[in-house]
Amino acid sequence: MNARLPVNILIGAALVAVVMFAALLSAIWTPYPYAGIDVANKFAAPSGAHWLGTDQLGRDLVSQLMAAAGNSMGVAVVAVGIGCSIGTALGLLAAAKGGWIEELIMRLSDLGFAFPALLFAIMLAAAFGPSLSMVVIAIAFINIPTFARVTRAAANQIWRREYVFAARAAGMSTFAISRDHILPNIAAPVIVQATIEFAVAILVEAALSYLGLGAQPPEPSWGRMLAEAQTLMYLAPQLAVWPGLCIVTAVLGFGLLGDGLRDISDPRLARRRPA
Amino acid sequence: MIALHNLTVRTTGGHVAVRGADLAIQPGQRLGVVGESGSGKTLLALSMIGMVPEGLQVDGQVLVKGETIAADDERAWRRHRARTMAMIFQEPMAALNPLVRVGDTVAEPLRLHLGLDRAAARKRALDLFEETGIPQARRRLGQYPHELSGGQRQRVLIALALACDPDLLIADEPTTALDAQVALRITDLLVRLSQDRQMALMFISHDLAAVSRTTHDIVVMYGGDIVERGQTVRVLSDPAHPYTQGLLAARPSLMHRERRLPTIPGTVPQLFALPPGCRFAGRCARELPQCVGTRPPVVATPTGQAACHLPGAGQT
Amino acid sequence: MSYFLARRIAGFVLTLWAVSIVVFAVMNVLPGDPALTILGLDSTDEARAALRERLGLDAPVVQRYLAWVGGALRGDLGQSYSFGVAVSGLIAERLPLTVSLAISGMTLTVCLALVMGLTAAARHGRAGDWAIMLFSQLGIAVPVFWLSMLLVLLFAVKLRWLPPGGFPGWSDPVAAARALVLPTVALALVQSAVLARVTRSAALEVMRLDFVRTARASGFAPGHIMWRHVLPNALVPIVTIVGLQFAGLVTGTIVIENVFYLPGLGRLLFQSIANRDLVTVQALVMLFAAIVVTANFLVDIAYVLIDPRLRAGRA
Ligand SMILES: Nc1ncnc2c1ncn2[C@@H]1O[C@H](COP(=O)(O)OP(=O)(O)OP(=O)(O)O)[C@@H](O)[C@H]1O
Ligand code: SF4
Ligand SMILES: [Mg+2]
Repeated sequence: MNARLPVNILIGAALVAVVMFAALLSAIWTPYPYAGIDVANKFAAPSGAHWLGTDQLGRDLVSQLMAAAGNSMGVAVVAVGIGCSIGTALGLLAAAKGGWIEELIMRLSDLGFAFPALLFAIMLAAAFGPSLSMVVIAIAFINIPTFARVTRAAANQIWRREYVFAARAAGMSTFAISRDHILPNIAAPVIVQATIEFAVAILVEAALSYLGLGAQPPEPSWGRMLAEAQTLMYLAPQLAVWPGLCIVTAVLGFGLLGDGLRDISDPRLARRRPA
Repeated sequence: MIALHNLTVRTTGGHVAVRGADLAIQPGQRLGVVGESGSGKTLLALSMIGMVPEGLQVDGQVLVKGETIAADDERAWRRHRARTMAMIFQEPMAALNPLVRVGDTVAEPLRLHLGLDRAAARKRALDLFEETGIPQARRRLGQYPHELSGGQRQRVLIALALACDPDLLIADEPTTALDAQVALRITDLLVRLSQDRQMALMFISHDLAAVSRTTHDIVVMYGGDIVERGQTVRVLSDPAHPYTQGLLAARPSLMHRERRLPTIPGTVPQLFALPPGCRFAGRCARELPQCVGTRPPVVATPTGQAACHLPGAGQT
Repeated sequence: MSYFLARRIAGFVLTLWAVSIVVFAVMNVLPGDPALTILGLDSTDEARAALRERLGLDAPVVQRYLAWVGGALRGDLGQSYSFGVAVSGLIAERLPLTVSLAISGMTLTVCLALVMGLTAAARHGRAGDWAIMLFSQLGIAVPVFWLSMLLVLLFAVKLRWLPPGGFPGWSDPVAAARALVLPTVALALVQSAVLARVTRSAALEVMRLDFVRTARASGFAPGHIMWRHVLPNALVPIVTIVGLQFAGLVTGTIVIENVFYLPGLGRLLFQSIANRDLVTVQALVMLFAAIVVTANFLVDIAYVLIDPRLRAGRA
């Protein structure tokens, strides 16, 4: 297994880099406006002008895929970022305080595991109406317990270290110890988890947008593109291929990267599978 | 019955763990194998049931009932395991599937290899439990390994090994994990079974006293070589090889016998650090100039054979 | 044993209770006026007041919660706003399809995963192992709805072997089964990817143990050793993941039913969302969450059945 480890990370990092590059680039440049309709050119075959052709409204596929990458990465960054921050803070708190506070936080995070991310997002979308922000909130929420657990487990180990005892003996406050000693030492598992949750977030966003609960037209999204392609399956099967490949590339990239990072940091770290 | 010719086992790094061993076991023969840790006893035994760990390379010839079997011919080996030869291992706790009742464990080869039905296999398992001296055998059949003591587990493993009536039982340090009293009873059981069933026994041990009580013949191993062999009592009372002499000298008196063998001066070198000639060179008090570089010949001794440039009853 | 069981059951009930509070709060309290959600912004005050009256929304929150839970415990999940019938009736009608899909999907998942995982373990480090791990890595990254579309493209659009979607009803069992083939395969391919990995690493762990050597020394065939000795001992982590996968199975069925237009609970959920039928949505979300919680509870119990050592330890 060890021999595969660097390959893991290399392939993962390469895939992530491609997707990230496309996402960032789409913010300043796409070959065409992603929503630019050109009905005369609908279902165009791949060509020098349209590298992957156009869809039923003559929109350039590459431009849409790039813009969708931007959207997907944006959702993942914000949602995982929020979930990770709150979850890590709660995990640190649980480890620092112990007792009933720890018990309460852990019981609450158990509760979070009763809701698969997708189900939770569906519930929010039903209550508040479908939108990408609901998707972000749902993913963020679902991430809180995951990070709380990972952080608490890692932090509890650091709390037992000698230099933490020393810091306590020197009169350092719990908060200061958490900030200066615990947090820097649990960065590795948190980053690994974040990478894996990134992959999950991309999948959940795609699924929700596919189901009509995420990105709303004309917002670009791989999932929404697939939903549209499904109605044209007999007419233009090629439209169903590219967005899916993009999702796989992104999810595979973050998944491999996360796996690889976990292997080199701590092989026993808890792993949550995609919802 | 089982014979090894020039059997060599190499590690992935090309280091020789067993070097050109020749050994033949006759029906009903009880053979002891002694030697310090790492001398290659277990590998020698494993090569006789085709179970040398993957990654190690086996050369030489293994003959089972006159048939040459290649080390990697898993199908051929499977035909012989349990029926021609069976093996029991050192750690009886881990050697039993924790989720299976011990009666079912013993019944399994009876059903798979001998085609007995459930009831017949159970009946036979009960007989085997009784034969191996498991108290309250009937009740034990339905128990799980964690409910048995170490000695009882080893008896279950012996019963399992006997299930298909093998011609040879290989016991690799069967008593090391047990306390002295229990160990004594297990070795006596092995001897009795071997006599009752006309079954050959290969008894691997650190414990010279146990080997001398159990076996008729002995093989002494060091650094992957068979360094001396002969009749157990004679070799142990009149050893010719300096290593065997060292083993005996290092033996604690029978009064306060320990099960771990105190070492001969120096430590057993790692495989890669073994000298190319006599493996014992460097630790041997009688060492000659040619010992390090030249492999000693096998010569006849008053008690058998030894591989040494200067065998004899010298001082160590 | 009984103490252990009592603790587990208490935890299970508590979790269900907490889940019901979350679901109720999200669906009823946080959004403000449910009547507004249901009728939309352009509704009149009178229409909303009438609806509130009909749904009993004017009662205090706690009372409404208790009424909901009390009803649910008696099997009364309220009236569907859009269908105009009892929600329990709607669910009962669609349950068989969803349960069939879940069972067939899970069964195929477990079979595929065990075969792949044990095969990979048996060929550890060789080509077969690599191929299976590659498949599993891909399977984890492929969204189930896209895989479904690809399967439809190949088997329905190109080869025309199977229907692309829809459900003909149970009266024609062959047609019903054919309609479930692609959904089942899609669900299982994705789910088994993770499970195959877990099975492989659990099996590799067990294969190092001494009793496997004993089994080999007893002359048993490799297949027999894998299935009868290695697998049972590898079951604890496998069952854990199977339990966790119920979450994936539940969401997977919801998605799949919508990809293949299968009239099950997942489809009902989306129709109800589209119709802003909060009563039905709330009942369904609660039901799905309860299934996940129950699955996790059953897994806890299953450990004890697998391992006699735990049985003794908890007696
Ligand atoms: N799977 C393996 N891979 C590499 N080297 C091995 C392997 N198994 C055994 N060896 C090496 O082969 C040598 C002989 O090992 P073996 O287990 O036969 O010794 P032994 O005489 O049975 O020792 P002990 O008394 O400790 O059981 C040792 O140096 C050991 O390190
Ligand atoms: S060959 Fe030489 S070194 Fe080896 S045992 Fe004999 S005397 Fe000692
Ligand atoms: Mg050994």
